[in-house]
Amino acid sequence: MALTVQNSTASNDYRYLVQDDRIHGSLYTDPTVFADEMQRIFTDGWVFVGHESEVPEVGDWVSRRLGTEPVLMVRNRDGAISVVANRCAHRGTTLCPQNDGNNRNFRCAYHGWTYDLDGTLLGVPGPKGFHKDTADLGLDRPGQVDDYRGFVFANRSGTAGSLSDHLGAGGTDLIDRTSNMSPTGRVRLSAGWIGQRIDSNWKMWPESDHDGYHLNFTHASMARAVPDTYYDEIVMTGEEASESATRAYDGGHLELDFRRSYTAELAWLGTTREKVADYCDALEGSYGPEKAKTIMWDGPPHALVFPNLFLAEMNIARIEPVSPGVTVHRHTPLLVEGTDESVNRRLVLQSEAAMGPASFFLTDDAVIAERMHRAFEGAAAGEDGWVDLSRGLEREHIEDGQRWSDITDETTNRGFWHHYREVMAGAAGGRHNGT
Amino acid sequence: MAVVDEPTRRDIEAFVYLEARLADESRYDEWEALVTDDMHYWVPFGPGDYEPGTRVSYINDNRARLGTRIRQLATGVHHAQDPPSSMRRVVSNIEILSAEGDEFEVGSNFVLYEHAVQATGHLRLWAGRATHRLRRTADGLRMAAKKVELVNSTSPLPNLPFII
Repeated sequence: MALTVQNSTASNDYRYLVQDDRIHGSLYTDPTVFADEMQRIFTDGWVFVGHESEVPEVGDWVSRRLGTEPVLMVRNRDGAISVVANRCAHRGTTLCPQNDGNNRNFRCAYHGWTYDLDGTLLGVPGPKGFHKDTADLGLDRPGQVDDYRGFVFANRSGTAGSLSDHLGAGGTDLIDRTSNMSPTGRVRLSAGWIGQRIDSNWKMWPESDHDGYHLNFTHASMARAVPDTYYDEIVMTGEEASESATRAYDGGHLELDFRRSYTAELAWLGTTREKVADYCDALEGSYGPEKAKTIMWDGPPHALVFPNLFLAEMNIARIEPVSPGVTVHRHTPLLVEGTDESVNRRLVLQSEAAMGPASFFLTDDAVIAERMHRAFEGAAAGEDGWVDLSRGLEREHIEDGQRWSDITDETTNRGFWHHYREVMAGAAGGRHNGT
Repeated sequence: MAVVDEPTRRDIEAFVYLEARLADESRYDEWEALVTDDMHYWVPFGPGDYEPGTRVSYINDNRARLGTRIRQLATGVHHAQDPPSSMRRVVSNIEILSAEGDEFEVGSNFVLYEHAVQATGHLRLWAGRATHRLRRTADGLRMAAKKVELVNSTSPLPNLPFII
């Protein structure tokens, strides 16, 4: 049977394509699915944009994408943050082609239309030629922009409900645990972003980044080259022995929870207290000895905030869909405040090892994703081409609004896809919707 | 720009070409034998005018981490280079930027064609400027630093798991 009808994005049956224990490969390759995602996930839902620490001064801006739409995240004159289309309201020219900068205002290079930092149109050359009220011609802005602990999110349609509902208890806890890695409770993303271009569908990244089953194989070369990485407990122990867990929270948020596997404090940083004494003292000073001890043992979460924010331990990553077959995976080290810079130097070094196109880990993940994508491009048109996601389905547990299981189980993958199914089938519905 | 005698210039150019060929052919052990114990291998983000470690770089390897990189490549299960990319680079515009004692700073431009055979089969083009710091030792010239400034380093890059 034909799973999709050409030229009709309303007809993809997401309740059929995403089943409880398997999903269809056309979800990675079909351009009509991608178009639906850009609408239902990246326009109608909340999307991570950036962190307020990236734009500390008035006029600072960084270039971002909401789905595929180029936007700017800007620090306004009043100190608030706005997100505006990086596209002149007149004829659509890109206003800022660079990655970041600082401006007093935004002036279009084509006809000189000039906008204030919040997107308000300040002036046009030759105003007498316009019969419209140019005050109505500001830059397009998302319907909602909000932040949680400096993590800025936007919802283009303005219809997604509140950010706190989107994050839920799971997403809120994940961002809290990330932010609390800094003695001041405020993290700083100021070391720059590196982008890795991967010729695969974007959804392979929430999947791969939160797959606890692949480490032994995809990353076998790293286990052999560096026998004492902190992934050892997971990589080297068998199915029954690992203490780590996969978790799927309400709202499509996911976690590979390594906390119970760490056998020493600061194992996640690959060091000991003496080497980062100033940082540990600062944590104790801020949080008290009990909570600081928990932070030093547990470390940062390894988690997805649906759909595009990867809390990658001491990195923050953004998953940027470009087209059905191209994704950019961007990361920056998670720096901390309230301590000397030596720990931040260490974090930059750790980031360079783990993330990016020349790193020891993401390079292998990228090739695996590209091999998956190639395979589905040719095969995902009919009753063949299903992806099995059944691992651990019969042994996972539901507790306190989250589903959890063994670290190698596909609980995280199912958590992503089952939330995806609700979002994609949602109001628009599929053939089986409501049955 | 430094003035060196012709035999020294020939040695330096021969070294830069040899280093490029060993990298092209993924001859990791022979390539690693060219480096000193204090080797620094750096691929910065944007111009390499900042102190490594103060901002994130693509590669910022001291000798120990470079050793890890080469061990990973040599495991035979580093999927990102299994099989190794087929590569050829053209190195040109070699200039000896400075000569102090036993050390020479050498600038060159390169264009590298990579056949990314691991998954996509794409022909990838890499271009940039390499700056070598070479040191005369009892065993001949050795490499104490290599900085590679890619012309497009501020845009997203595909996999770069080989020695560039």
